[in-house]
Amino acid sequence: MDRRAFLKSGVAASVAASLPWRSALAASDWHTYEVVTRVELAFPKGVSRVWVPLPMTDDTEWHRSIGTSWSGNAARTQVLSDGKYGASMLYAEWREGPATPQLEVTSQFSTRERTVDPSRQNPDAERLSAADREFFTAPTEYIPTDGIVRKTAQGIVKGSRTDVEKARAIYEWVVENTFRDPKVRGCGWGDIKAMLETGNLGGKCGDLNALFVGLARSVSVPARDIYGLRVAPSVHGYRSLGVGTPNVTRAQHCRAEFFAQGRGWVPVDPADVRKVALEEPPGNLALKDPKVEAARKRLFGNWEMNWLAYNGGHDIALPNSKGPKLPYLMYPNGETGGERLDQLDPDAFKYAMTAREIKA
Amino acid sequence: MRFAFLLLLALAVPAPAQVPANPAQALKPWSGGATPPLELTDVDGKVHRLADYRGKAVLVNFWATWCAPCREEMPSMEALRVAMQGKPFVVLAVNVGEGERAARGFGEKMSLGFPLLLDRDTSATRAWSARVLPASFVVGPDGRIRYSHFGAIDWASAEVRATIQGVVR
Repeated sequence: MDRRAFLKSGVAASVAASLPWRSALAASDWHTYEVVTRVELAFPKGVSRVWVPLPMTDDTEWHRSIGTSWSGNAARTQVLSDGKYGASMLYAEWREGPATPQLEVTSQFSTRERTVDPSRQNPDAERLSAADREFFTAPTEYIPTDGIVRKTAQGIVKGSRTDVEKARAIYEWVVENTFRDPKVRGCGWGDIKAMLETGNLGGKCGDLNALFVGLARSVSVPARDIYGLRVAPSVHGYRSLGVGTPNVTRAQHCRAEFFAQGRGWVPVDPADVRKVALEEPPGNLALKDPKVEAARKRLFGNWEMNWLAYNGGHDIALPNSKGPKLPYLMYPNGETGGERLDQLDPDAFKYAMTAREIKA
Repeated sequence: MRFAFLLLLALAVPAPAQVPANPAQALKPWSGGATPPLELTDVDGKVHRLADYRGKAVLVNFWATWCAPCREEMPSMEALRVAMQGKPFVVLAVNVGEGERAARGFGEKMSLGFPLLLDRDTSATRAWSARVLPASFVVGPDGRIRYSHFGAIDWASAEVRATIQGVVR
């Protein structure tokens, strides 16, 4: 959807002028950012290990990794991938010793605004092979595609003919029926079967966007989560959709995409619609609030790229660890003395992350 | 193409703060594919083509000013260049994604005697799969990559120098 169409289709012009997104598509240029992750294990016991997610290695029209470097006192470091999803991570290992394990990872990457108009055919759109279609409609451990998930999705998409219509129906359903629950730790682990069975549809991006992905996959619409980190303020005027300080230690955010023939991968973010509703001043906005309505229209086909993309991996087994699989890899992870550290508690872990834009 | 590429990236590297207990071992014999092309302009506007250095050993180093271990190893790279003067050996230091001013300022501050090439759009960096910095490749006189190293290393150490001299012969 281009800006003109957005303004026509959405809100009355007089209201639109005062809304966020007003300068939306002017920013088509690339922006370069640097993210620094500092890890320091305060109480090491025996062998210690750390896994830090790295920027997505595939170059796209909206995200390019420039490079990564690191320093520290680890006995061994490796860049590893999970092998199935290509989730890239820096692995560091410290043998037993008196030193405090320390690691600093610096990554630079460039991004630019990403908009796909799902209503228009694009002859140059990416095609999906049969194998990839199967891959991106398959269940994961936390995202089943049968049972209550499929039954719910079938009800939602009843009457929808195309993949775009199905995805749109699911998107609107997620926005209408879920809510952002600020009490959820981190971003939520996306146990969508439990969400649907209990009827508790509260959560954060890891829950709400996983729900979109699972529902879409269950009716054969290829979809995927992309896990990442907000690194800059929103230029569209949404305080809730960006970070206002260089400290991004708790700024993790995941998004979703679906694939449609003739459109390619389409970015969506229903979880951010619910974030706008909860957090934009004065708070607890109704879905019919113009600010929320504008975000709702925009976030079906657009990602503002004040955001670092890590990977789209699920059920990640950390290399060299005997610990449990992770639903996804979006936070630094660590273990010491054979015990996994709490990735959602950076102050105890401990780790800190900063981000800045690199100006030419 | 599947978003999740299936290539397992596993670059074993020693940590910068620990390097190099045995730097000769740290230079890893190359088992990858053919040498990617390299044609870039340096900070003075001169074009450098890797193919033009056929007959010489070439250390191709990818670096950036924001990369702390890159800064740490640069003086040892300059020391290696000086030690190898008169031999068929050159260093090409490829700056990743930054501008001429940043690269030139860095080179002047460090008093580096080798050319600083500019890979502004990072296309060469991608071609060489050098996303982990610093990334170094030792190219033999025949144009084939002989060794690689990801992370900082003491290029002035006797062991590394011996390895390089083995390539020069």
